[in-house]
Amino acid sequence: MARVKFLCDADRCIECNACVTACKNEHEVPWGINRRRVVTINDGKPGERSVSMACMHCTDAPCAAVCPVSCFYTTADGVVLHSKDLCIGCGYCFYACPFGAPQYPKVGNFGSRGKMDKCTYCAGGPEADSTPAEYAKYGANRLAEGKLPLCAEMCSTKSLLAGDGAIIAEIYKERVMKRGYGSGMWGWKTAYSDSPTG
Amino acid sequence: MPGSLSILKFAGFKPLLGAFALLFVLASPAAAQLSFKPTAEAVQEDKLLNALKEGDKISGRVSIPDGSAANLIQPAGRDWRDFHRGKLPWIGGIAILGMVALLTIFLMVRGRIRIHKGFSGRTILRFASFERFTHWLTASCFIILALSGLNVSFGRTLILPLFGADAFSAMSTYAKLAHNYLAFPFMLGLVIMFLIWIKDNIPGKLDIEWIKQGGGLLYKGKHPPAKRFNAGQKGIFWIVIVGGALMSVSGWFLLFPYLPGNVTALQLWTVIHAVIAMLFIAAMLAHIYIGSIGMEGAFDAMGTGEVDLNWAKEHHSLWVEEEQKKAGAPSDRTPHAVPAE
Amino acid sequence: MKSFVAALAFAVVAAVGVAMVLSSIQEPSSVAFTTTGARVGDPGHNLIGPS
Repeated sequence: MARVKFLCDADRCIECNACVTACKNEHEVPWGINRRRVVTINDGKPGERSVSMACMHCTDAPCAAVCPVSCFYTTADGVVLHSKDLCIGCGYCFYACPFGAPQYPKVGNFGSRGKMDKCTYCAGGPEADSTPAEYAKYGANRLAEGKLPLCAEMCSTKSLLAGDGAIIAEIYKERVMKRGYGSGMWGWKTAYSDSPTG
Repeated sequence: MPGSLSILKFAGFKPLLGAFALLFVLASPAAAQLSFKPTAEAVQEDKLLNALKEGDKISGRVSIPDGSAANLIQPAGRDWRDFHRGKLPWIGGIAILGMVALLTIFLMVRGRIRIHKGFSGRTILRFASFERFTHWLTASCFIILALSGLNVSFGRTLILPLFGADAFSAMSTYAKLAHNYLAFPFMLGLVIMFLIWIKDNIPGKLDIEWIKQGGGLLYKGKHPPAKRFNAGQKGIFWIVIVGGALMSVSGWFLLFPYLPGNVTALQLWTVIHAVIAMLFIAAMLAHIYIGSIGMEGAFDAMGTGEVDLNWAKEHHSLWVEEEQKKAGAPSDRTPHAVPAE
Repeated sequence: MKSFVAALAFAVVAAVGVAMVLSSIQEPSSVAFTTTGARVGDPGHNLIGPS
């Protein structure tokens, strides 16, 4: 089975935020929840690079490891999802996540942050596929319809790639060879320690 | 011009055009050997990662008002995860189970510490009702805080398999709420305890003597003199005050995560909170032991407030003298049956 | 015994009181992280449930 990943080619990212907008629209993500965001490093200086970051769906997901109620699970495709019914909103996954993916609806007490929300790779959650109940809790399920995440589909420069990890790694390597430079597969060493170069 | 079209029909036109264009390329500053590399100063992920010091993060600029969103990669999360799932269970297990084992062995070898002269039937007031109230306020909150805290660390491994995910999550939700809200009466109890008992808990020379004699713990019939609180109790007092203060401060920042504001500081507070908790629980197990089954006559101090006079003379002889001087008469309190409550 | 029961009762009352105070200072992230330049009405309830 294909092991899906995200790859953001920082040398192509123009910080247009189409990925963010696409995600927000597709899942009706409320204001204050940032499933996907674009971070610009060395903004305004030579060598400025922008990286689109959301949940990387890590191989040995730290969020899953530290969750006190074990509400995470990894699908056969390698997508890391969680159950909002079991989540107690403690925030441990946020402390462990190297990429800051977990988001909470409320600010304040440890306990009442509300249920954690994060990028689902457009794969929904434990509810039945493509049902209104699933949409209300986890957003759209594109993977069940055989589609790839909308953020990568909408990327204006095709810098954000999503799909089979081996294939997108290959695409990136071809690009690096052809143009002669590449700032790196951002987050791959941290997220996919078993296959950091694809 | 009539001659312009004929130049296009010239067979060597295209190669000539190519050679002409090449002149421009070779003459331009960005020649085939690029002397100016547009990506020379580009940030490289591995360079940034290697330059990170312990606990540092790669961060940049975002348009989101939430400052945490500006962090791109925080590798310290991996170390935090390793600690919480690796080292911490060992620290907790050894501290708590080790203490239970120690206490069991102590009970088996030394047995229950009896009143040497037996119950006299006469009592002396040790703790007033407000003191007992404060103690039980802090103690009962501590029990729930400890259990709910241990649930966060160990519940997934020990309790979840027994009850299933849904029941365990529901229980954990209430446990976590209890933990958050009972923390406040616990902190209040700590403050009151500190204020009412600090003056009797200042360490002194007598305590060194008491410690040298092992507190009388190890040998029957040995009763080193002590004032209101012996060195062991003073130790417990300071463990509770200092440990409780650390738990309160770290817990406060975990309750209000926007105060430290950044994930690295929060990771540090969780580590402090967890490690101190394990050691605190181990210490309190010893305290609970000696105050209940470990020593005959000890529980009365917090139970009714009135302790048997022989017990008091054996364990806090100097305090009994002080109290009797205060009461004026050389005789003890009139004997009366200890109330059933 | 009386002081023990009183302590338990006080702890419960205090906890409930604290719960009420803390929930009143709770803010949804749509309010906490909105700058003055933005005007956010109802941010919607998808993914986060009814507030």
